[in-house]
Amino acid sequence: MTAYLGSVWSCRYFWLSLVRMDLRNRYRGSVLGIGWSLAHPLAATVVICAVYYKLLKADVTEFVPFLLAGLACWNYLVGVTLSGCQCFVQAEPYIRQHALPLAIYPLRTTLGATVHLALALGVVIALTAALRGLHHPTALLALVPTMALLMLLGWSVGVLAGFVNTVFRDTHHLLEVTFQILFYLSAVIYPKELLYQNGLGWLAACNPLVAFQSLIRDPVLYGSWPSGSDIALTMAVAGLATTAAAVVLRYGSRHLIHYL
Amino acid sequence: MASILLEHVHLTFRVRQQYQITLKEYLLRGMFRNSRNPIREIHALRDVSLDLRPGDRLGVLGGNGAGKSTLLKLLAGIYEPSRGIRRVSGRISSLFELSLGFEMEASGRQNILYRGYLQGETPRSMRKKLDEIAAFSELGEFLDTPVRYYSAGMLVRLAFSIATAIEPEILLVDEVLSAGDLAFQEKARRRMREMMAKAQIIVVVSHDLDSLRRLCDRGLWLDQGQVRAEGPIDQVIAAYTSHVEARRAA
Repeated sequence: MTAYLGSVWSCRYFWLSLVRMDLRNRYRGSVLGIGWSLAHPLAATVVICAVYYKLLKADVTEFVPFLLAGLACWNYLVGVTLSGCQCFVQAEPYIRQHALPLAIYPLRTTLGATVHLALALGVVIALTAALRGLHHPTALLALVPTMALLMLLGWSVGVLAGFVNTVFRDTHHLLEVTFQILFYLSAVIYPKELLYQNGLGWLAACNPLVAFQSLIRDPVLYGSWPSGSDIALTMAVAGLATTAAAVVLRYGSRHLIHYL
Repeated sequence: MASILLEHVHLTFRVRQQYQITLKEYLLRGMFRNSRNPIREIHALRDVSLDLRPGDRLGVLGGNGAGKSTLLKLLAGIYEPSRGIRRVSGRISSLFELSLGFEMEASGRQNILYRGYLQGETPRSMRKKLDEIAAFSELGEFLDTPVRYYSAGMLVRLAFSIATAIEPEILLVDEVLSAGDLAFQEKARRRMREMMAKAQIIVVVSHDLDSLRRLCDRGLWLDQGQVRAEGPIDQVIAAYTSHVEARRAA
């Protein structure tokens, strides 16, 4: 394990240069550039808030930061999974030329998504401060371990999605559909309390996607540290995913090239 | 000290006739039992043993599909043996499939950097080598242009310039002795000779038997994944050519 991590570290200049290149290429020739990664959740928020304000008379100063925080987390989780699906297929030319540790390719997609998450969180914090004020700014420190946990989860999910999609190319499309369904079940656009009030509390309690959003919403919106149950659930999920990814890398690496 | 040791190495590919299996095929066709796209086993290498030490120059020859390139990729660590032992120590440089792995939207100069990192270089070492690689490639101002505008020849020149800028302990070469146009080819041959003089172990795959005779002292003839002959390069080439002539006559 230590030797493997050492080999990942030894080629850090390679995967870091790929991350930089991905970020550059994504917005190459675009007038708005990296601003698009902010424009997308902002546009979605404006539309959804307009609808909620008109139909449900929701308080926009409460709802805008709430929704943006949820979308930031959601877009990250969807992004690392779907881009993770392609991580090995996209890296086929490198895999066929050099025997580098396969773990670096999901790391590439995860780091790219993390940059966008950090930008989105910056906007959420700024908007929250402007619209309703930050109650306990020290609670924002909780975002540091949350980001680390999300990166670990993102990398693990990327490894798993990448392996499965390399063998079954339908995986990417199946996951897209699955995420569409999960979007409405994961309290992204409504408070999780609504689920409890309507007898669907179990859905919030055992859906880790809800817990991951709470890790971001609690410190930013409410100035509180995330609850113990949310921390326990997310750590368990990230730990499980990391273990599964390590096992897949250990036993699947030698076979992956035959499916490319 | 560089070394390569293969002991009774087998490599088996399990492939499907069609490119990929779909989830539908996986779930609905009796979990492969009644598959219309069954798995076939291809024995790419069978019972190959090798022991190379510093100073060895091995030429690998054989017909198409004999397993030559597969052997090279196995030595590079890209394929792992299905059975047997592979032990390789030393910094490897592999010169094969050179045109692969370019980031088409990035400039030639950017590609030099990250392909250098891919070969284990650091920003510090690349700072020293960047100008030398740029000069060797003779691409001039095109180096600041995205490589998607390059011709195939320009891509090969750039790839060759980068790949041969490092000093490997083990050099694995697959048919890249004719990179670029005529003028560049002569320069490339000189560069290859310099590189080969510095490398401790060289394994060359080629159909050009004269090149193999010139570059190598040992030969390995592969046929359908099996070693047909191994020994001094002249003897192995003689055995291979007489086999080919006998088949042609028959």
